[in-house]
Formats: sequence, structure tokens, C-alpha cells
Amino acid sequence: MKAFPQAMAARWRRLTRDPLLAGAVVVLWLLLGLFILYPLACLLASVFAEDGALTLRPLLAVAGDPNNRRAFANSLLLASLVGLGGTVLAFLFAFTAARARLSPRILAVLDAATLLPLISPPFTVSVAILFSFGPRGLITYRLLGMNNVTAYGLTSTALAEIVTYFPIAYLTLRPVLAAVDANMENAALSMGATRWRVFRTVTVPLAVPGLANAFLLLFAASLADFATPLILAGNSFPVLPTQAYLQITGLFDLKGGAVLSFLLLLPAAGVYLLQRFWVGRASYVTVTGKAGSQSNAMGLTRTARALLVGGCAVVGAAIVYFYALLLYASLVMAFGANHAWTLQHYRVIFTEGLPAIRDTLIIAGIGMPLGGLYGVLVGYLVARKRFAGRHAMEVVAMINYALPGTIVGIAYLIAFNAPPFEIAGTALIIIACYVFRYSPTGIRATIAQLQQIDRSIEEASQSLGARSGTTFRRVTLPLIMPAFFAGLGVVFIRSMTAISATIFLVSISWTLITVRILENMTEVALGPAAAFSVFVIVVVFVVLVGVRALLARLHAPGGASVETVLGG
Amino acid sequence: MADAPALTPVAIRLAGISKRFAHRVKGDLYAVRAVSLAIAPGELLTLLGPSGCGKTTTLRMIAGFEEPDAGTIVIGERDVTHLMANERNIGFVFQSYALFPHLSVFENVAYGLRVQNKPPAEIARAVGDVLGLVGLGGYERQQPHQLSGGEQQRVALARAIVFRPRVLLFDEPLSNLDAKLRVQMRDEIRQLQKRLGVTTVYVTHDQEEAMAISDRIAVMDRGELVQVGSAEALYHRPASEFVARFIGRANLLRGRVTAVRDGAAEVDLGGHGVRVAGDGTVAPGDTVRLVIRPERIAIRPPAEPGLRATVLSRTFLGEKAEYQVGVGDQVLQVAQYSQPDGRTFQAGDEVTLALPSEGVHILAG
Repeated sequence: MKAFPQAMAARWRRLTRDPLLAGAVVVLWLLLGLFILYPLACLLASVFAEDGALTLRPLLAVAGDPNNRRAFANSLLLASLVGLGGTVLAFLFAFTAARARLSPRILAVLDAATLLPLISPPFTVSVAILFSFGPRGLITYRLLGMNNVTAYGLTSTALAEIVTYFPIAYLTLRPVLAAVDANMENAALSMGATRWRVFRTVTVPLAVPGLANAFLLLFAASLADFATPLILAGNSFPVLPTQAYLQITGLFDLKGGAVLSFLLLLPAAGVYLLQRFWVGRASYVTVTGKAGSQSNAMGLTRTARALLVGGCAVVGAAIVYFYALLLYASLVMAFGANHAWTLQHYRVIFTEGLPAIRDTLIIAGIGMPLGGLYGVLVGYLVARKRFAGRHAMEVVAMINYALPGTIVGIAYLIAFNAPPFEIAGTALIIIACYVFRYSPTGIRATIAQLQQIDRSIEEASQSLGARSGTTFRRVTLPLIMPAFFAGLGVVFIRSMTAISATIFLVSISWTLITVRILENMTEVALGPAAAFSVFVIVVVFVVLVGVRALLARLHAPGGASVETVLGG
Repeated sequence: MADAPALTPVAIRLAGISKRFAHRVKGDLYAVRAVSLAIAPGELLTLLGPSGCGKTTTLRMIAGFEEPDAGTIVIGERDVTHLMANERNIGFVFQSYALFPHLSVFENVAYGLRVQNKPPAEIARAVGDVLGLVGLGGYERQQPHQLSGGEQQRVALARAIVFRPRVLLFDEPLSNLDAKLRVQMRDEIRQLQKRLGVTTVYVTHDQEEAMAISDRIAVMDRGELVQVGSAEALYHRPASEFVARFIGRANLLRGRVTAVRDGAAEVDLGGHGVRVAGDGTVAPGDTVRLVIRPERIAIRPPAEPGLRATVLSRTFLGEKAEYQVGVGDQVLQVAQYSQPDGRTFQAGDEVTLALPSEGVHILAG
């Protein structure tokens, strides 16, 4: 085959005749190499290498410990429960939204209730559950007068994670259910099937790939969740991420933590492969930009509708109750003991807590534009340019996003704690972690947006004398602004709320609000923890509304909304 | 810009350009294969052919959107084969118009001038002039999505000519317009091109559009150039059956050369002899095909001399009547234009066909 070297030569020539493209590709690969591949390689080296030789000994040693084996099994059990429960809840909400013919206002309330867990720090629900069901809990102690109850263990952890993560599944299921062709249901109805039978034999089977995808998303989210089990699981129910954390922070055993986090990688990779190669292929429903007309979808019986709406209302009310409780706890002296109103906790977070707030805002503020730009740039290059390793770039850019945060955090800790890239303890390491972990949503949004823009528009600019940099700046960038803002919004929101990776990266000079909340929780300073949480939710909500207004002003054609982007 | 002095038009030379692409099933395929073509300064040349013949790929290589795998492209005196599109000084009009959706009409047209960092006053003047030229004066503040298809096409045209490119390239610019507008726009494009005197390559699959607009037409088939010439030359002297059938309608008759005398060939069509201007290569005994356009065949009563035939069907179309006639095992189409005393025939009638020798073109092989 002599076509191959010729093709290579042509590629090379294309690169050299567009030096800007070549420069961008080289710089991006250097960044991807430094902040994604290098830490991962360091982690793997730490797991599999001892004294310069390959070995399985650390892995076998950790796997041989019955405690760790239990943590592994617990993690899988918890993830399965959360996957099942969350999928059921998400289906309830998605089906109700798609079929119950609710008024737009009630739908908006439903959406708002599901939005709350998406925009808050991941352990907010855990805190609220402690407030409700703990030894001094509002429900267990005050209402039911129970003593000596414990809110720790599998049940509460699973419950908290289901409430926290089911909105992700709801966002992916809703378009799938909306896209189930009503004509198929009508065809079954016309053949004499009852509505319940149609639901069982047509509607649900058509949604199966969507349900499987929802389950896998929740499974992965639970597997990677660190904050909820740390607060709620307790000593009797160890899971992998918390074990890895305790191994490192408690026992200063970096290698042991790395090996434990590697165990986490196995099921996570399995879920990823299932999603990519099984769910991706088995989709019956084509989800297009336009949600299918819902007016002629199969109607519901009165009872069914009442049950569905009632179910959603109960769950929605529970979520609102949790968040109201959090707000209340931030405004009283000591929740469970002294319920006098006070602003003291807010005073605390804006004095003692100010460094954490300042650091978090600085880090989120710097990471936001960088992440937005990085996402748009990678998305643009991958979707529009031809260069060697284009596909590899897309895959590599997604790695830190797909990996559980514990793995990423430990990998960064190992990689950047020692020369040649000693940046541990700086703001840079936290910013880099956020940018490379949360920009992939921006990358995907950019690719999706570009697929709707005809390539000839860029060629027109080129034929008018514009170089590739000018074309990008004057034509492409304005057109992918919606993706840019969506990606930037996600980076900011996650920078405000994430903890699983960055808990390993904070230092005396740079800390984060989420880490402070966790510290408050362990010091049983529940008031400041609640006040911090409320503060984060308010800031994120304001930013979300701002980004949304901006997107509306850009009247993005088919633009990605931040909410849908958050779900991915 | 209407008053600006005309630039000296440039020639375009394609020398053996090829473009391969990888096909999922069939492996490496040629989209364009060894195309050589010289386009004269100021000429409007059309690349014509069915979809997939390589005409658009050829145009995109001239523009610089694709890079040829082999061969060279010269514009003026400059080898541009490996230059990017933005270094070639060409104006390109896209099938989809490709207007920038986020910019006004004025900014769309001004784009090329802004890239060149022209002073604002000059940009305003040039854009105003060119919008007047395409009949869109006063549309400056409109957004592209507020315009009709024809208006969008005019903006695209204005945008392509405002910076006085040396070469103008059109990629099926009219295919998204309705039939009436298409005729009007193609006349406007032709007038504008003559006025600007800019060397132009125009791609279309519509033979009528090609004949109406071009100085010369280059017919392409399966990636290769099959014939280049004026519309008349292609119509009357097609080089191949493909060209004969693609440009207008054609009858093809098999025959055998019986004699060659004074550059003309005697061809026997199953008992009937016709004298045809030879192409210099045929020799007695050769099997040849004759191309005869339907309107060149005269249909007459059976008593008169000529090729014996039977009328199979007749369709009256107003200005003309079309016949299907059987000659031996072949079916010919004959167009008879209405005349006051014209005699008509019905299906089943025996007739004779007269083939005037100047209306018959010989294809070897």
C-alpha cells in the first residue's frame, strides 16, 4: 500500500501549511498529556511498579484484605441500589412529564425540584437526612420521640444518593420517553390492547435502552460518590472511595489509596464500555432536536394519572423539605437543641470561612473562562479539522470526566507532589483538575452545535481571505457561543460544588468551601455547614440564571441548555 | 466598485489533477482522475456532469478547499496547488449560500474587506456599490434569515465579488431556487461576469443552465473529463455516447462503413445508405454508431426515398409532435415541428425517414 505514506505526507503538508492549527494541536496534546495521561500513568505506575519492576503484589495485598473486599462489595451493592431506585424515580418523573399533560407551570415546579440536587454540593442531602433522621433528628427524635436511632448505614446512604443523583437520569430519560412514537402505541391500542398492556408491551420495551443508560449513569455516579458515604455510611458500611480517602489522609498510605482507587476503576470502566458498546447500539428511539408532538400520545386513565402526579408530588415535596430544613438549620442557633433565630452562622462563614469562599470563587472564576475556551477549542478541532490523532484527542479529553473523582484526585496527588511538575498545594493544581475534569461537557456541546452548522460557512470565510485563526474568531466562535457559555457554566458550577477529586488537592494556602463543609460536619458544626451549603446553592443558582439569560439572548439555534449539559 | 478599473483577467490551468478518497466498501476511489483543463482569461467555463462525476471536487480543488493528490493548479502565473483557500484570491459562491447567520447583510459583504483591513470609508463605499450592483441597495441592515432565497443568493454573490477576486467559482448556485428565479438569476450572473471580466468556473448538473451561461462547457463523467467545447460543438459533435445523451436528446444508430471518399463515409444502416462527414479515423468495414438529434430527422410518407420505418406512437406537444418509430430492431425518436400544411402520421403507419448528412455525427467503435 503506497496510499498510506502519501496520506501521511498530505496530512503533514496540511499541518505545515496551517501553522496555527498545528500550534493549537501541539499545545493541546501537551496539556492533555500533562494533566490527563501523565497523572494516570503515575497512578498505574504506583499500583503496578515496585523498585522499577512490574508486580501485582500491592494489588493482591489490598485485594486480600477482607475489609477491602467488603468495601468493594459494598460499593457495588450501593451502586446497584442507587441505580435501580434512581431509575425508577427518574422514570416516574420523566413519564409524568411526558404523558400526564401537566400545565407548563406545574412542569416548571417539577423541573425546579429536580434541579436543586443538581446544583448543590453533593452532600447537601446527606446533611438534611442527618437533620431529619439522626439521633436528634426532626422526624426521628422530635416527631416520633425515638431515642438512640442511628442515621448511618446502607439505607440512608442509598436514599441520599438516589435523591441526589436521580435528576441526572431524569434529564436523559425525558427526551427518550418524549420520542417514543405515539403511533406505535396507537397501533397497539387499535389492535385491542388495554392501556396497561400497551404500556408493558410497547412503551417500556421501547424505553429499555434509555432505562439501561439511566441505570448505568446512576451506577457510575454512586460508585464515584465520595461525600455521601463519608457522612452517612459510618464505620459499619465501608465503601471504596472513602476507604481510599482514609487510607491516604488517615494512614498517609498514598500507595494503598492508589490501589484502592484502582479497584474502583474496574467497575467504572465496565460501566463505560457497556454504555458505549451496548446501550449506544440498542437504541430504538431516535432522539432528534424536536421533541415529538405529545398531543396525540396515549392518554392515561384518571387513576394512573393521579398516582403518577401524586408520586412526583411526594418526591418533590421531600426534596423541598430537605432543602428547607437546610435553610432552617443555617438560621437557628443549634439545630436539634436551640431553635432561636440567628444569623451567626452566616457571620462565621463570612469571617472565619472567608478564605475558603475567596479561594473557591477565585479558583472557579479562573477555571471558568479557561474551561470554556478549552472545551470550545477541543470541540472545534475534533469536529472540524483533520489532523493526525484527532479521534485519540477526543477520547483522551474525556478520560478525566469518565473516571471517578477519587481516582483523578489521587492520580493528581501522586503526579504533582514531586518534581518535575511539583504544583501540589497551589491553586493551579485545583484549577487544572476542574478544567480537565468538567470541560468535556463543553466539548460535547460544541461538537453537537458544530454538527448543525454547515461546513461551507467556514469555507466561505476562508475563500474571503481569512486565515484559520480569523475564521475561528469571527465566524465559528460567535456561532458556538451557546456551547461556550454552557461549558463555562458547568465548569463554574462544578468548581463550586465538587469535592471527590479536589479533597486530595487542597492545602493550607488553598482550600474550598466544600472541604470546609465536610470539616464542619466532622466537627459537628452543623450550622456553618448548612450556611455554607445555602451560600453555594445561591451563588450557583445566580450563575445558572445568568448563563440561561445569556443563552436566551444569543437565541441559540438548538443550543444546549446548562441543565441538560449538567445531566451528562 | 462599478467604476473601478477592470483587473487584467487571469488564466487557470489544471494539469493532471487527481483526488482519491477512501470508500468504506470499495477501497480507494478516484473522485477526480487526471483532469487537465485550460481556462482562458475572462472565460466562463462550466463543469457539467451527473452527481458524483467529480465536478464539485474539481471546483473545490481550484478553490483550495481540497488538496489534489497529484497534478498542479496554476492561476495566472502562480502555482497554487498547495496554497490554502485564503491565499488564492478567489470568490466562491456556495450552493447553500453559506451566509454568516450572525452578521447583517452589510457585514456579510464587508467580511472579505475587513479581513484585508481596508479603511472603513472604503469598505462602506465598496459594499454600497456592490449591493447596488446586485439590486440589494437598502438591504444593509437586514439579517440573512430575513431574506428570500434569491436575495440570499445575491448577497452571496455580492460577498464573492466585492473584493475583486481574480477568479470566481460557483458551486451549483441556483439549485435551491425555483425554476423561474433560476432563469432570471443565471442571466444576471452571466451579465455580471461579462461586465467584471473575471475568469469564472461554474458547476452545474443542469445542461440547459450550462448551455445558457457558458462560453465553454467541460463535461465530466466518473471523475474524468470527457469533452470540452462550446455548447454548439458538444451538441452537434459529441465525442461519446455519454456526451450525446447528456446534452440534449439523441438517437444512436448502429451501422457499417462501406466506403470512405473525400473525407466522407458511406454508412450502411441495414440496407439504407447515408453519407456522413467522417472523423478521419473510420475505414471501410468498421462498425460505427451514428448520433442523430430527433429534430434533424424528417418523417415522410412511405413512397419517398429514405430509411423504412414504422410509427410506434405519436405525442402532440403543441409546437411539435414527437414520434417513436421502429427501424428494424431499433427505436428512434423523431421531433416534427408544426407547420401549416404539415402531414401527420399515426401509430402503425409505414413511413420513411430522411437523414440529412450534415445532421448526422459519427462515433467510432
